[in-house]
Amino acid sequence: MTTKGKVLIIDDDPDFVEVVRTALETDGFEVFSAADGSQGLALMRQEKPDLVFLDVMMAHPTEGVDVSEAMMEDPDLRGIRVVMITAITDTQYVGDFPTDRYLHVDQFLSKPVPLPELLELTNRILKKK
Amino acid sequence: MEEQFPLRVELIERIDWFISLRWLAVVGTLLTIVVVNFYLPGLLLQGPLIAVTTAIALYNFLFLLYARRLRAHGPTAMRLRQSTVFVYVQIALDLIALTTLLHFAGGVENPFALFFVFHMIIASILLSPAASFLVAVLASSLFAAMALLEYRGLVPHYNLVGLVNPDLYHHGTYVGASVLVMTTTLFLVVYMTSSISARLRARTDELLEVSRSHEAKSRELAELNTKLQKLDAARTQFMVTVTHELRAPVSTIYSCLDLVLGGFASREKEQQILERAQQRTTELLDLVKDLLELTGARQAEVQVEEAETIQLADVLRNVEELMRVEAENKDLFLSVDIVPDMPLVRAKPDHIKAIWTNLISNAIKYTEAGGIVVASLTHNPDYAVGTVRDTGIGIAADDLSKIFEEFYRTANARAICPQGTGVGLAIVKRMIENYGGKIWVESEPARGSKFIFMLPRARP
Repeated sequence: MTTKGKVLIIDDDPDFVEVVRTALETDGFEVFSAADGSQGLALMRQEKPDLVFLDVMMAHPTEGVDVSEAMMEDPDLRGIRVVMITAITDTQYVGDFPTDRYLHVDQFLSKPVPLPELLELTNRILKKK
Repeated sequence: MEEQFPLRVELIERIDWFISLRWLAVVGTLLTIVVVNFYLPGLLLQGPLIAVTTAIALYNFLFLLYARRLRAHGPTAMRLRQSTVFVYVQIALDLIALTTLLHFAGGVENPFALFFVFHMIIASILLSPAASFLVAVLASSLFAAMALLEYRGLVPHYNLVGLVNPDLYHHGTYVGASVLVMTTTLFLVVYMTSSISARLRARTDELLEVSRSHEAKSRELAELNTKLQKLDAARTQFMVTVTHELRAPVSTIYSCLDLVLGGFASREKEQQILERAQQRTTELLDLVKDLLELTGARQAEVQVEEAETIQLADVLRNVEELMRVEAENKDLFLSVDIVPDMPLVRAKPDHIKAIWTNLISNAIKYTEAGGIVVASLTHNPDYAVGTVRDTGIGIAADDLSKIFEEFYRTANARAICPQGTGVGLAIVKRMIENYGGKIWVESEPARGSKFIFMLPRARP
């Protein structure tokens, strides 16, 4: 069965992962998931996904940023597209989130993510590949 | 004594003024001698007069040096005493000098005898009323002595030739009257000036008192303000954390419903997704319940009057029954150990039940299958002491101090049980402390934990 592409979800909320996985699989994507940054990076090197949905705040308030920086530093991972998912846009952690450094990110989304928008975005980004 | 220092600092400042005044007096006296000699040559005995004036200048210079030395030392009780004695010495020497000058310039004939009054005023300003009266006594005695000694011929009299009747000093009535008038005047001046001076000092003392209490109040206010700001910051922090904790589950529930309603999932999947959403809803409800308990515990001070005298052991046995099933399900050994003669405590039964339930359920939650949980009760002369021990995952040293904070969950705890509000121990701590007790924990990672709490015995 051919899929439209490989998508990796890195998020510590299993229910959110399940929702996004279901929506993407129904739309024809192959989906992998990881619950933290290091698991996610390992999976990335193994499966070479086309797009990564990255939750910003997991166990550590800016874990997502750390992952994206690691991706930038690794030539194997640099080409992978990244969409950051954040639930922190208007809380105290905004200060910790570095907006002045260049981040290897295509788009920011805020939870709860409207699913039509999520699917449209995924299709758009992966079509470019 | 310290309070007097700012007041009596004026004494030390005034000494400088006194010394400066004396320079003026010296200059004035010399000028007078020169002028009088110019217009009425031969009237005055220049020699002795100039000698005395020089002596005054000399001792004033010594006074200046001593005053400088006094000021070099900080304000102390000794310096205050030394300053006071210093003033006595200055006044005494001045009185003697004035009397000598008068003696060589006519004695009772000389109207400059009025100048004694200056010293009465100065003494009343600088010294206590009692001391000022002594000064008046000294001055009157010196004047009287001079007049009497001249009158009796025991010391020579130096007439103001051509100006005053040379026999005046010998006139008993005149001498007596002069001495009487002088004495009365001096004492009256001292009396009047001392009263005014005393009243002024009292007013200044009052003002200082008011100013000091004002300062103290300002400091109190500043402290209260800091406390309020800290409380406010803590409250804001709490609200931020609460909204954060609420936000994640709520958006996930939304996404689950979005998925189903949007038709993005197959029939079978829909059921699964909805079940997950419901599970998260239950968690949210638990969180809300815990928050309610927390805010309730925050207001527990109000409820302490509703406390009853209860037996911790009874509540513990009750809770044990409820927890036994849970423990068996996880294949854990739960045991309860109560010493005889447990004292009563004053508390709301609900709170005690919550404390035991929380601690024991935590122990069960964080201990792997095959482990042991022991709840025990003992007592010491002032307290009832409860303990919950387990052979579970334990708590790292960094976490130990934070574990009673609201919403705090250790990484290990999260790993074993992702759901969990982190509010339970905060509630327990607040309740215990509201009853005047204490709670703490001893633990090492992988070596289990021991939670110990104490509640004061109920006074009969």
